[in-house]
Amino acid sequence: MTPRESVTPYSSGNSNRRVQIWYGVLMIVIAVFVVRLFYLQIIKHDYYHQQALKDQLKEYSIAAERGVIMAHDRGGVVPIVLNEKLYTLYADPTFVKNPDSDAISLAKITNSQAGNYAKLMKTKNSRYVVLAKRVTPDQKNKIMTLKLSGVGVRAQDYRTYPQGSLAAQLLGFVSDDGKGTYGLEQALNKELTGTSGMLKAITDASGVPLVANRDNLQVAPKDGSDVTLTVDVAIQKQLETILKQGLDKAKSSSGSAVILDPNNGAIKAMANWPTYDPSQYYKVADANLFNNAAVSSPLEIGSAMKVLTAAAALDQGVIKPDTSYSDPGHWLLDGHEITNIEEDGGPGIHSVPEILNLSINTGATWMLMQMGGQTGTVTKTARDKWHDYMVNHYQLGKATGVEQGYESSGTIPDPDNGYALQLTYANTAFGQAMTTTPLQLAAALASVVNGGTYYQPHLVDSYMDSTGKTIAKKPVIIRQGVVSTVVSQQMQSLMEYVLANHHLQPPFTDNYSVGGKTGTAQIANPAGGYYSDKYNGTYLGFVGGDKPQYVIMVRVNQPGVGGYAGTAAAQPIFSTLAHMLIDNFGVVPKS
Amino acid sequence: MSSRPRRRLYDSSSTEGGRNAAKSSARRHKPDYWILILTSLLLVIGLVVVYSISPGLAASLHVSQGYFITKQLIDVGLGLGIFAVAAYLPSSWWWRSAKPLAIVAIVGSLVVMFTPIDAVYQAHRWIRLGGFSFQIAELIKLALLTYMARFLSMQWQAGKIADFKETFQPLLILLIAVGLVVAKFQSDLGSTGVMVAMIVLMVFAVGVPLKKVAMISALVLVLLVLAISSSAYRRERLATFLHPQSNCQGNGYQACQALIAVGSGGIFGLGLGYSVQAYGYLPEASNDSIFAIMAEKFGFIGTVAIVVVYGAFIARLKRIIEHTQDQFKRLLVVGVLAWLSTQMIINIGAMLGLLPLKGITLPLISQGGTSLIFLMAALGLVFQISRYTSYSKSEPETSVRQQSNNYYNPNGRRLGRAHSAPATTRPRT
Repeated sequence: MTPRESVTPYSSGNSNRRVQIWYGVLMIVIAVFVVRLFYLQIIKHDYYHQQALKDQLKEYSIAAERGVIMAHDRGGVVPIVLNEKLYTLYADPTFVKNPDSDAISLAKITNSQAGNYAKLMKTKNSRYVVLAKRVTPDQKNKIMTLKLSGVGVRAQDYRTYPQGSLAAQLLGFVSDDGKGTYGLEQALNKELTGTSGMLKAITDASGVPLVANRDNLQVAPKDGSDVTLTVDVAIQKQLETILKQGLDKAKSSSGSAVILDPNNGAIKAMANWPTYDPSQYYKVADANLFNNAAVSSPLEIGSAMKVLTAAAALDQGVIKPDTSYSDPGHWLLDGHEITNIEEDGGPGIHSVPEILNLSINTGATWMLMQMGGQTGTVTKTARDKWHDYMVNHYQLGKATGVEQGYESSGTIPDPDNGYALQLTYANTAFGQAMTTTPLQLAAALASVVNGGTYYQPHLVDSYMDSTGKTIAKKPVIIRQGVVSTVVSQQMQSLMEYVLANHHLQPPFTDNYSVGGKTGTAQIANPAGGYYSDKYNGTYLGFVGGDKPQYVIMVRVNQPGVGGYAGTAAAQPIFSTLAHMLIDNFGVVPKS
Repeated sequence: MSSRPRRRLYDSSSTEGGRNAAKSSARRHKPDYWILILTSLLLVIGLVVVYSISPGLAASLHVSQGYFITKQLIDVGLGLGIFAVAAYLPSSWWWRSAKPLAIVAIVGSLVVMFTPIDAVYQAHRWIRLGGFSFQIAELIKLALLTYMARFLSMQWQAGKIADFKETFQPLLILLIAVGLVVAKFQSDLGSTGVMVAMIVLMVFAVGVPLKKVAMISALVLVLLVLAISSSAYRRERLATFLHPQSNCQGNGYQACQALIAVGSGGIFGLGLGYSVQAYGYLPEASNDSIFAIMAEKFGFIGTVAIVVVYGAFIARLKRIIEHTQDQFKRLLVVGVLAWLSTQMIINIGAMLGLLPLKGITLPLISQGGTSLIFLMAALGLVFQISRYTSYSKSEPETSVRQQSNNYYNPNGRRLGRAHSAPATTRPRT
C-alpha cells in the first residue's frame, strides 16, 4: 500500500460524509430519547406518579398534648402533674462513622457509659437504636453542636411532678410510649390523651415533610383535657405523713387510708404505703408498688363491717338501737362454731350498742339471724336480705367506677349457692369470708351516715377541654334510701358511742361528732382457712359537726404491735387524721 | 468588544500562526457565537436547577444552605475563565501542548494509583488537595483529545492513515492503556466509554479504512466484555439494567428512582421549586442524576427542550467540523463532539433506563467541578477553531493543508506528503 493510495480515497470530503453519518446516528439517538421521554412522562405518567406517591407520601400522626392534672389546695387549684419536653437520643448505625469516638463524646454529655453507646452504634442490620431517653434540652443542644452523622434526637413529652411522689399511686404514670398506666392516668387515658392530629405530606427520603408541596393535608390535634381533682393537696400531704407515722408506730410495713366527703362522694385524699416516685417509675423493681391498694387490693375487713350489719338490721326494723338479747357466747352453724375473738363477749344479755362496742361476733351473727326472723339459724331469707344490703344498698362486690386503673370489685358470697352458707354468711356479718376495698367501705359508710344516699366515690372535680371550656363533674347518686334517715342518725350515735368508749387520745370535744369502729381481721391462708397469728387492722369512721363531713377508712397490714390490730394499729391513725381534719380543714362544729 | 480587534478579524496578517498567513485561505473571522450561546444556556440551566435544589440538599447533608450553589457558581466562573483563555490560544499552542499534556495525564494517573482508595467509590479516581478534589479522568480526556488529533492528523498528513504498524498498532496500545488505567485502576467505565468513543470516532472521522475501524470496534467490544465480567459490581449493574423492576430496593434503587423522577414529571413537570426526588430519594441529584430531576421539574416539554439544545449543540459542532479544512483542528472538534455527545448519551440514556447506570455527569449542567472545567477548556478550543471555518465551496483542499502545515513540522522541516496530494486527484462527494 503506497502512502499516496492511502491518502487519496480518504479525502476530507469522504470523511465529512462519515461525520454526517455519525451525526445522523446522534440525531436518531436524540429522537429515541424524545420518544422514550414521551413514553415515560406522558404514557406512563400515572404509573410513575403512583410509584412516586408510594414512596413520598407519608402519613404522620401529630401527638396531642396530654392534659395536665390539678388538685385543690385550700382555696385554690394547683398543678400536680405537668408535661415536660425531653428528648430521646437515637442512632442510625448505618450512618455512624466513628462509633467509638462518637460514643465517648455522647456519654460525656449524658453522663453514661461510652461502652454501651459504642456497642449500640455498632448494631448490625438496624436503622434505629435508642441510646438514651429523657435527655434534657440542655444536653440535647450540646449533642446537636457535635453534628455527628447518624445520631439524632426526637422530642417527647414526659410527665413531671411538681409535688414529687405525692399521691403517686392515685395518679399512676405515663409509660414511654405515651400510655397512661395505673391510677388516674390509666383510667382517664382517653380524656387526657386527646385526639392526635394527622399530617399527610410529601416528604423527603428521611421523612421530613417538604413545606413547598401543594398537596399536604393537615388535621390539627385536639389536646387532652386538663383534669382538676377532688383531692386536696394539703389533706393528701397530711394523710401520707400520718399514715406513714402510724404504720411505723404499729410496726407495719404497709397500709392504706381514704378520706371521703360523705355528702358528695368526693375523695379528698387517698394514700398507700409504701409508695414510689412517679417521675422515676422506670426504676421501680416491684410492680406491686404501682397499685393503688386502696382501690385495687380487697381485704377481709373484719369487725368494722358490723356497723353495716347493724345499719341493715336497723333499716329492716328487725332490731332497735336499744334492743337487748341473750347471747349464747357461740353459735353452731354448719358444724362449725362462731365464737368471739375480740374483746369481751361471753354468754349473757347484750344490747346492740354493746355488740358494736365490744365487737361481739356472735352479736353480729344474731343481728343477721334477725333479718330472717329465726334466732339460731341464718335462714335463706336472712342471707338474701343481707346480700341485698351488701350488694344493692352498700354497692359491695362491684367496682365503684372511681377513676382508677385496676379497680378491684371485691367478693361477696352468693346467698343461695355454695357450701356452708349459714357459716359463710354469719362470717360476713363481722367482715370475714368476703372482701372489699377500703374505698368501697368508705363509700358504703358514707351512704349510711349521710342520710342514706350512696354517692359514687370519685376523684374528678372538673375537666377543661382543649377549647378552654370547663365541664364540672356532678356527684353521681347511685342509690337513695340505702338506709332511712332515722337509721342514719341512729348509726351515727351508735358509732359515736363506740368511739367514746374506746377513749381515743387525744380526746375529741363534744363540739364535734366523731364515730367509728375497729376491725381486726383474720387473714385468709391461700392454702385454706386462716392464719392463726396474722391480722389486718382496720378502722372505719367519720368526723363532722351536725352532720358527718369526712368519712375515714384506715387499713394497716399485719401490724407488729401487741393488742388487737384494729385498736392498736388502725385506731390511732384514724384518731390523728380526725384531729388533723378538725384542726386544719374546716370541720364545722355542732351548732 | 472594541472596534480595533473587530477590524483585525478580517486582517489576513493576523491569522493564526502568522508564518503562513499569506497562504491561508481560511482567514480569521467572527467565531461561531452559537457555541458560546448554547454553552451559556446549558450552564444557566444547570445553575438554576442546582440553585433550586441546593437548600434542600444542603439540609439533608448537613452543610450550609448555599453550599451547592456557591460551589457551582465558583466552578462555572472558573469554567468561563478557562473557556476565555482557550478561546484565545492558537491551535498551534494545543499542537505543542499535546505531548506535555499527555505526560501530565500519565503522571497524574500514576499519582492517583498510589493515593489511598476512595472510601465511597472504592476507586482511585481523585487527587485531593486541601478542600479541592480533582478527577484525573477529565484531564485524560483533554490530553487524549489533543494527542489523538495531533497523532491522527500527522499520520493523515504523512499518508500513513491506513498503515498497520505506524497508525493502527499505536492506537491499539492506546486503547488498551486507556482500558487498563481508566476502567481497571480508576474503575470508571463511564469515562472509559467517553474516551473510547473519542478515539474510535476520531479514527472514523479521519478516514481510517472501515475494515480497520471495525477491527478497533471489535477490540473495544472484547475489552468491554472483559471489563464487565471482571467486576462483580459491574455484573450486578448490568443485571440490574436488564431487570430494572426486580430490585428497586437494592442495586436497582437509583435506576428505579430515576425513572420515577422522570415519569412523575408528566407533561408540564412539578415546577422548578417542587422536586421531591431530589431530597434523598434519587442519589446524586445535583450531578449524575440531574437530568432526571430536571425531567421531574420541567416535564416532557422542558426535558425535550433540553435534549433539543444538546441536539443543536451537536449540529453546530458538526457544522464546524464540515467547514474546518485543517485536519488537526477538524479532529479536535470531532473529539469534542465525541466527548460531549457520548457523555450526554451515557448520562441521559441511564436516566431513561436505556443504558446501565454509570457515574458520569451531564455535560455543562451537572455539578462536578473537574468535568465542567475541562469540558469548558475543550469548548473554548472549539470556539477558537470556529474562527477559521471556510464556507467557500471552491476552496482548494491543498491550500488548507498548506496553510496549516506550519505546525505539522514544528522544526521547520516540511513533510513532503502534504504537497503530494493535489486537490484534483481527490474526488469530492
